[in-house]
Amino acid sequence: MSLTLTVDGDRWRDHLRSVATAEPDLVPVAKGNGYGFGLGRLARRAAWLGVDTIAVGTYEELPEVAGRYDGSLLVLTPWRPFGAAVELEPALARRVVHTISRVEDLGDLLGRQPDARFVLERTTSMLRHGMTARELWSTADVVRAHPKARVAGVALHLPLANGAHLSEVHRLMTEVVATELPLDTVWVSHLSASELAALRTAYPDFTFRPRTGTDLWLGDRSALQVTATVLDVHAVERGDGFGYRHRTAPKAGHVLIVSGGTAHGIGLEAPLGDASLRGRAATLARGGMDAAGFVRSPFSIDGKQRLFAEPPHMQASMLFLPHGARVPAVGDVVDVRVRYTATTFDRVVVD
Amino acid sequence: MTPPTASTPLVVREIGSDEHLDFVRRQRSVSFLQTPAWARVKAEWRHESLGWFAGGELVGAGLVLYRQLPKVKRYLAYLPEGPAIDWDVEDLPPWLRPMAAHLKGRGAFGVRMGPPVVTRRWDTATVKAGIADPAVRRLGDLAPTERSHAGARVVAQLRDLGWRPLAVEGGFAAGQPQFVFQVPLAGRTEEQVLAGMNQLWRRNIKKAAKEGVEVTSYDGVAIDPELKHFHDLYVHTAERDHFTPRPLSYFRTMVEALGAEEPDRIRLYTGRHEGTLVAATIAIRVGAHAWYSYGASSTEKREVRGSNAVQWQMIRDAIAAGADVYDLRGITDTLAEDDPHLGLIQFKVGTGGEAVEYVGEWDLPLNKVLYKAFDVYMSRR
Repeated sequence: MSLTLTVDGDRWRDHLRSVATAEPDLVPVAKGNGYGFGLGRLARRAAWLGVDTIAVGTYEELPEVAGRYDGSLLVLTPWRPFGAAVELEPALARRVVHTISRVEDLGDLLGRQPDARFVLERTTSMLRHGMTARELWSTADVVRAHPKARVAGVALHLPLANGAHLSEVHRLMTEVVATELPLDTVWVSHLSASELAALRTAYPDFTFRPRTGTDLWLGDRSALQVTATVLDVHAVERGDGFGYRHRTAPKAGHVLIVSGGTAHGIGLEAPLGDASLRGRAATLARGGMDAAGFVRSPFSIDGKQRLFAEPPHMQASMLFLPHGARVPAVGDVVDVRVRYTATTFDRVVVD
Repeated sequence: MTPPTASTPLVVREIGSDEHLDFVRRQRSVSFLQTPAWARVKAEWRHESLGWFAGGELVGAGLVLYRQLPKVKRYLAYLPEGPAIDWDVEDLPPWLRPMAAHLKGRGAFGVRMGPPVVTRRWDTATVKAGIADPAVRRLGDLAPTERSHAGARVVAQLRDLGWRPLAVEGGFAAGQPQFVFQVPLAGRTEEQVLAGMNQLWRRNIKKAAKEGVEVTSYDGVAIDPELKHFHDLYVHTAERDHFTPRPLSYFRTMVEALGAEEPDRIRLYTGRHEGTLVAATIAIRVGAHAWYSYGASSTEKREVRGSNAVQWQMIRDAIAAGADVYDLRGITDTLAEDDPHLGLIQFKVGTGGEAVEYVGEWDLPLNKVLYKAFDVYMSRR
């Protein structure tokens, strides 16, 4: 009676191990909804993989993973002098690697915790968090004033544009070298394997640590299956009313009630970031269907994606199945295509 | 070189060559391409000595060679291996902006310079390991023994300020070499430097002595009678090694101009075996920086190792003169087995020195249209 993620355990673990073996400096990212698996499970998997550091998104996520994994914990959201960052449990503080994106925050952090471990974030073309080159250079003075401070390197968060980052990274690396600190570890996101290889050739005296989420946990989609359960089936004739808004059936068929609704993230699309003309045309087409009362749902029966009979409910959805199609029975499961980073499953089953 | 303060902005103006030379003499190291004498060697170009002043004090200097754009009275202002300013500052604009403004006023459509700033160094052991490793194709594939913060800071700032690095592809760049080979001498004795050389070099030096190769050095007016002999051997070397030799008059001018600046600014070395000239070289020194500049060797009697003998004498003289560095000048950054330049680096590596990367040459376009025209002209030349 639930929205379920079923994982082919052997296949999934094989994939995880192959990624970790190919990339010894891997930093698994366990943040948000845990890519559908949940943070706790990812933390245990990271421990099983034997990595020395995992990355979480926020300070609030630390308690979820800290008990299940005992290595270093890199927090990706930059440290600020307020909120969960300053309310950190002292026992946890020793394991945390902070991200510093403003010079003033570094002085503040080291004032509170003189032996803090941290990475210095340099802004990239993404322009999210981070310091300019000159700000990065000026951190050397702050670090010198705190002899116990532990600099763990530099963080670069690059935009998602596979294969196009090298010249930007080279420019940024020059600025990293220009900093009078032993910044020989560079924590990077979203670099392709060939980009990483090129950087390691150009900077053999540096360690590049890729922070990897999607490509690790969701890299082998064939190991993952998402299903919903058919909870009810009603035959309808053209003109029959149904649903919260009492819509009428456009023609004869069946209304199916399946598990999975807005509470799971069904019908709440995370932006795909498809900026191509084709992608935008598809979005427009979906909007058009919406206006006419037909919206394609992520549920598919016998390989065919079915239409929502009405907008998804909180924990269930109503689908319209036209006359002539095979009608599943109550208790049958149907496939669901989801965005893993935006879906909360009722159950995750790993065989 | 005193850094400027906010209250005394730097002023750039032309200085006399005496004032320029005074400044050079006060520095530990300045490229010989940045001496007033070098302007006389490159007499086909208009030149100017530049001074940077903080208050009334001269804190930096540069030699500018003006290269004219064909048919137009506009120039590329070129400061080879210069200027000699304080490159180790966090803020370069106060140094570079007044220079650019001054040069623009003199008709420059662009500025080219080669800051004498090191970015990376690789010691002998590292370079040797790289040559032995087939996976290593370039120096840059090897972890440097030292990566300079200050060098990286200059590169980052130049880029920020709109300067463009001159592309270096494979072999030698069009201008001054970005990669050179140097033997550090500071704090080392002759014995230590010799012990740092590879076995082949040491054996060859010993062999030359045993064979009775006589090395003689000349400076001042003593060079002139020997220069013709050097040049004959140099032309012979050029034929053998397939490069275009410079005319004797070029060396005459060079010896005269540089020699007039300091008594031992430039020296000629000869190695003779039973009266036959087997090797000859030209060495230059400015302060604590000594260069091996030109070399020639005979094809016959190679077994008496005249080349190693003259090199060793140049190194010993550099040590005796208190030099910090013996500079064998340009190498390419290639370590690939199949590269024709590999022999050159292997010969230099035998001295036990280090491969050194400078920030390279950079251009600042002052007039975009003319600069572009110049760029096109250079690429078609």
